[in-house]
Amino acid sequence: MPGRASLDPAHVNVGQISEDRLDGVAIVALEGEHDLSTAPELRSQLHGALAEGPLVVDLSACTFLDSSILGVLLGGLRRAREEDRGFALVLGTGEPAVRRIFEVTGLTSVFPICDARGAAVEKAREAP
Amino acid sequence: MTAAVADARLCLPATAESVAVARQLVAGICDALDVPERLAGDVKLATTEACTNAVVHAYPDGARSMDVEVFVRQEELIVIVRDHGVGIAPRTGPRGLGLGLPLIAALCSRVAIQEAPGGGTEVVMTFALDGDEADGDDEGTPP
Repeated sequence: MPGRASLDPAHVNVGQISEDRLDGVAIVALEGEHDLSTAPELRSQLHGALAEGPLVVDLSACTFLDSSILGVLLGGLRRAREEDRGFALVLGTGEPAVRRIFEVTGLTSVFPICDARGAAVEKAREAP
Repeated sequence: MTAAVADARLCLPATAESVAVARQLVAGICDALDVPERLAGDVKLATTEACTNAVVHAYPDGARSMDVEVFVRQEELIVIVRDHGVGIAPRTGPRGLGLGLPLIAALCSRVAIQEAPGGGTEVVMTFALDGDEADGDDEGTPP
């Protein structure tokens, strides 16, 4: 039944993280719900990607994230600045809950945010 | 509140994997109540943050359990996250951004953070169901 929540841990929506590359920019994409349980994997992916070059984190298919994930993203942004790497986020327009946590925390003005992946790649290539 | 019978109650291991289960509980209740999408999102996020605090801070010597209780009243949805750990204490160590409690306060109509019966911490989060958006300017329970 679409939209119905399940309490069976086997059916709890576990977020997925994938990595791609476009025009020399690593793209780490989050899909589904992300929280404390996926934060370590995301941190590892971001650190690995930033060791290679500029990075885009695509949240357009992410349906939920919490402050654990915000902390990892902030850590990634700080690391990118320290290592002179470009860094940008894709928020997209699909999931209001994801945009809301950025707005409530005031972090929309901290991260370079784009609506589409192509624009984020351009921004990451231009930066720092 | 803690003496009342909850409309829904889960006892979960205080582990990272349990946070999504608690979130699904409140999501399902919001779904059943036809809670507006934005408010349902706020309930999910605040519950996630409270559970995360329990997982990260309550049990420095190893994970035990946390309880999640949901009460539905005429105009309010109340979510309680309770641990049986070290209780309320100044934070030490570098874990986390410290955004959890401010986020909870911003998302709820009211929030109370208090010592749990028998020890530990309980976070009592109240969300108005009457259509008013949480304004986040209320710092505690009403008199």
